[in-house]
Amino acid sequence: MISRSALTRGSQLALRRPAAAKTAQRGFAAAASPAASYEPTTIAGVKVASRDDSGPTTRLAVVAKAGTRYEPLPGLTVGLEEFAFKNTNKRTALRIVRESELLGGQLQAYHTREALVLQASFLREDLPYFTELLAEVISQTKYTTHEFHELVENCIHAKQAKLDSAAIALDAAHNVAFHNGLGSPLYPTVDTPTSSYLNENSVAAFAHLAYNKANIAVVADGASQAGLEKWVEPFFKGVPATSSGTLNTASSKYFGGEQRVAKNGKNAIVIGFPGAALGASQPETSVLVGLLGGASNIKWSPGFSLLCKATAANPGAEAFATNYAYSDAGLLAIQISGKGAAVGKVAVEAVKGLKAIADGGVSKEDLTKAIAKAKFNLLSASEVSGTGLVHAGANLLAGGKPLQVAETLEALEGVTAEKLQAAAKKLLEGKASVSAVGDLHVLPYAEDLGLHV
Amino acid sequence: MSAPSLVQAVAKRGWLSKMLKPVATWYTNAAGYRQMGLRADDLISEENETVLAALKRLSPGESYDRIYRIRRATQLSLSHKLLPKNEWTTQEEDVPYLRPLIDQIEAEAAEKAALDTLAIVKN
Repeated sequence: MISRSALTRGSQLALRRPAAAKTAQRGFAAAASPAASYEPTTIAGVKVASRDDSGPTTRLAVVAKAGTRYEPLPGLTVGLEEFAFKNTNKRTALRIVRESELLGGQLQAYHTREALVLQASFLREDLPYFTELLAEVISQTKYTTHEFHELVENCIHAKQAKLDSAAIALDAAHNVAFHNGLGSPLYPTVDTPTSSYLNENSVAAFAHLAYNKANIAVVADGASQAGLEKWVEPFFKGVPATSSGTLNTASSKYFGGEQRVAKNGKNAIVIGFPGAALGASQPETSVLVGLLGGASNIKWSPGFSLLCKATAANPGAEAFATNYAYSDAGLLAIQISGKGAAVGKVAVEAVKGLKAIADGGVSKEDLTKAIAKAKFNLLSASEVSGTGLVHAGANLLAGGKPLQVAETLEALEGVTAEKLQAAAKKLLEGKASVSAVGDLHVLPYAEDLGLHV
Repeated sequence: MSAPSLVQAVAKRGWLSKMLKPVATWYTNAAGYRQMGLRADDLISEENETVLAALKRLSPGESYDRIYRIRRATQLSLSHKLLPKNEWTTQEEDVPYLRPLIDQIEAEAAEKAALDTLAIVKN
């Protein structure tokens, strides 16, 4: 009998060889670009962005311009999110869930600062059912009093109880950076007074503002254009074309400042700088994010990035950098959280590292690594995780083009050490947005970190 | 919660409903709860999960009024008195405010039971 290990070893080798040869030949951007971008169209007055990779599953989402940025009163976005897939005029919440389960579908509702997303993931052939469901949810939900008290409120309280220092610190940094609009918290905390604003009637009124053809985009990943054209038109007929009221759509302005919140539990510091908006041609911000980095991607190695090195020297804290891109502004945030004084030390190291980039630039090797990381971040965000879906919808609503992957990759290639140095210098000269949440006795002030606020 | 009832069958037959209506009105008035300021739905037994859930779904105003009527009736019962005639519940006031909620909750439970025992037929 042939031993199992010998057999698998041979098959592994056989598999590996042609695949390795193929990857060596093909260009990175060329392989990814055809399916990676969403194509915008309009079907019966509804903005639709779709991309079809002919896979067996589809993700269909209604992206509404109803994130926390646009809510007229605090907490309404959260209320509307929890009311998704509840009783409608046609069927009950239970039936919606059970029917989706029978079809093997998944229903999700979530929000970002700009968008409220109702998403369904399902098998390709069930497109008509889920198109009808999403249209029904946005146009015929009942917003009943008993559901609000029995389900919605409980869900909100449970999620509020889960908010940790890191989430509160990020909200606080947004708050000092943008004040209103983008500055309103992504999730209201237990102490946020929402009870006088949030009830089933105010949510229903907000739904009327949010869910109309002018304010939503349908984003499909893995659905055929013909199928969408056939089903979106009849089912979205009942969605009103516009609404009489107006959302809170003031444009964003960067302020900067510092906020400190005492809280039990873990410590968190967020250091924010003005970042790149959606669709802005600022490739150096993405590369800077790659250079600052986060948790190491390679096991047993601290990694090359600045924050990796800082956390390796101060165990107990974790740190990562992200560029939060919104339609008209961005926030480049370094988020540090963990236990005890290590958080403060990592914050000091992070700012030192940024200063080193601004003063002396970066080595060629680190730049190459950072560009590769930025490219990976871009592609994995648009392909693997769902963020591409939300970005496509939000961009469509803001009037911009969906992310053009191939062009953005090219721009990333063009970033030089000088550009990066200039970008870092600009960040440090401007006003930062710093928030510290946790044990304020050990957390440093922005002044101590060497930042202007 | 629901007891068997012939109401639907009677209501369908106009002549029967016309015949029984005066008898029904007399019977309801003779039952005596209206003389104590109660409504028919105040008499539904609270001691089961369905009615408890329905009571929670009442609006605060309705809930307050219900408690007020029941406490007033209890007081009248203790003191062996009836309300003055101008405070009796009239036929117009005696509307079902709890029954629709009970029906709604029962429908939800029935739907859940039906979905739980669903048989899938594949063609």
